[in-house]
Amino acid sequence: MRFRAKIVDGACLNHFTRISNMIAKLAKTCTLRISPDKLNFILCDKLANGGVSMWCELEQENFFNEFQMEGVSAENNEIYLELTSENLSRALKTAQNARALKIKLTNKHFPCLTVSVELLSMSSSSRIVTHDIPIKVIPRKLWKDLQEPVVPDPDVSIYLPVLKTMKSVVEKMKNISNHLVIEANLDGELNLKIETELVCVTTHFKDLGNPPLASESTHQDRNMEHMAEVHIDIRKLLQFLAGQQVNPTKALCMHRICRSGKKTLLFRVETNETSKVSSVLGDETIFL
Amino acid sequence: MLKCVMSGSQVKVFGKAVQALSRISDELWLDPSKKGLALRCVNSSRSAYGCVLFSPVFFQHYQWSALVKMSENELDTTLNLKCKLGMKSILPIFRCLNSLERNIEKCKIFTRSDKCKVVIQFFYRHGIKRTHNICFQESQPLQVIFDKNVCTNTLMIQPRLLADAIVLFTSSQEEVTLAVTPLNFCLKSSNEESMDLSNAVYSEMFVGSDEFDFFQIGMDTEITFCFKELKGILTFSEATHAPISIYFDFPGKPLALSIDDMLVEANFILATLADESSRASSPQSLCLSQKRKRSDLIKKKAGKNITGQALECISRKAAPRRLYPKETLTNISAVENCGSPAMKRANGDISEVSENSVSNTEEVPGSLCLRKFSCMFFGAVSSDQQEHFNHPFDSLARASDSEEDMNNGSFSIF
Repeated sequence: MRFRAKIVDGACLNHFTRISNMIAKLAKTCTLRISPDKLNFILCDKLANGGVSMWCELEQENFFNEFQMEGVSAENNEIYLELTSENLSRALKTAQNARALKIKLTNKHFPCLTVSVELLSMSSSSRIVTHDIPIKVIPRKLWKDLQEPVVPDPDVSIYLPVLKTMKSVVEKMKNISNHLVIEANLDGELNLKIETELVCVTTHFKDLGNPPLASESTHQDRNMEHMAEVHIDIRKLLQFLAGQQVNPTKALCMHRICRSGKKTLLFRVETNETSKVSSVLGDETIFL
Repeated sequence: MLKCVMSGSQVKVFGKAVQALSRISDELWLDPSKKGLALRCVNSSRSAYGCVLFSPVFFQHYQWSALVKMSENELDTTLNLKCKLGMKSILPIFRCLNSLERNIEKCKIFTRSDKCKVVIQFFYRHGIKRTHNICFQESQPLQVIFDKNVCTNTLMIQPRLLADAIVLFTSSQEEVTLAVTPLNFCLKSSNEESMDLSNAVYSEMFVGSDEFDFFQIGMDTEITFCFKELKGILTFSEATHAPISIYFDFPGKPLALSIDDMLVEANFILATLADESSRASSPQSLCLSQKRKRSDLIKKKAGKNITGQALECISRKAAPRRLYPKETLTNISAVENCGSPAMKRANGDISEVSENSVSNTEEVPGSLCLRKFSCMFFGAVSSDQQEHFNHPFDSLARASDSEEDMNNGSFSIF
């Protein structure tokens, strides 16, 4: 297994750093999947409803000048590594004004991801900073749990309002209740609702717009104004929103009720088509 | 006994000094003398010492007078102010330094030894006055005897560089290693830790020698020391805008960080990890050829049951120091001649730790994991120099006013 990559562009480095910071906020440990044209950060939250709960995809050529990898074997040309996300984000933090950043897989006493930064400095000589981040290689038999979640056709999918606004609303709601109800319809309306014995607070967002649905036919007869709702844990939603440092060009939320009656919510944030982060939250309806 | 007056901007520097020292210890000695007002502290494991000396010209007004008393053998002994303050009492007073700098017209600090109090007064505009009365404990300040000028390696850097380096290391890492060669400088995570915990990130930063204001390396060295105190020193250096000088030698010998800008002189002495194998060439390190051990030199010197090897080590370290003449004259001010209570107090400390030291030195040969720092020489300011001169292993104080040292020049005492 081999991996070497290099970033020289300042803007790319900045973007990569911000994504890494976001991952660090969402999860303590994450999986890094390296394939010939993509880099993925995967969080597998096994405590929740099984399956992947966060999936981030980066097109390698949008970030790296040089990218070489050799997977586990010819048929399985991928590398899956587990690391502490904070270690990576902290290492990247030192690369603020770097001339170049190199990442490679090394084995110094134990397997590491070595991040090597060449910093500009006042004098002629440049400073070289190296971080060896310990990693664990994930064996092939566990790869199946870490695949990209198949996004089934949603019942409702809607563009989210400005995430900053949404975050400040949800933060205030957190003080009143632990559970939040998200309602959305195909008419561009989204409601965030909390209900307790004493009080019920709803924030309405209008004219948000809906992304085009994959299969028009099944939803033709649906009432556009019919609200699909799902109950979720406010803290998990906040965790997702807090991690959003990258200004997205598109943020959307998809709601799906599958045949078993289980509801899931999928949030997807895309930036300039270069990176995509999807986060899945399961329904936690409380029956009172 | 002590009375000094400062302006707003001077208070800021003073406050920063207190904050820097608070990272080392929970107690602070206020030690005024003819040389100026010194703030001293030492940490509980005796592996870090800080001293900030404000010269009389730093203050708007500085007045110090010592009490002189006649002692039995007709030697005038002057009593210095044996004032120890709790950091918890003094640190909150110097909070919000930026607003203090802006709003106060002047600050007065004076002592009332009859009531064992230090009074700090802030005078604001419109006649507003804030007064703090802090009780102090009578306690003899410790001084470290460390000769900076004989260190093989000397560096002078801008605080910015050190600040950039500090960012690399997580707060969970306790120790960092400084490795130098005549051409470059490297700060890296201590090897000890990253081998034990496979989850720790190992970081290193190489800096070229041309980034330093002064770069003189006598021999390739790698020293390891505690990282926590470094941050405190940095905040202080940013307040004074002066470069930091680093003096060090072989592993095991303390490292000194100095900031000197004419008005204020700050010295932070940190113990370094004694290394056994890699420094075989250096004679002094041979004596520490046992497993890495943290030895409190005070403990060692006092305990009668110290191992022969340790004894050798002390004597070897002691010898070169004596021979080196010092340019900086230690003005044997009256402050340093104290009555025997000082020594007794120091002895008191030693005897209570000597049991520990015995058990420590016995454990050491067996255990690999006991890591110890070797410590620095501590001098309690003491007057009875003659008797201590004959028994160097009993004494903490280097004979600073005995005849021999007067002739050779004396050590710089911080």
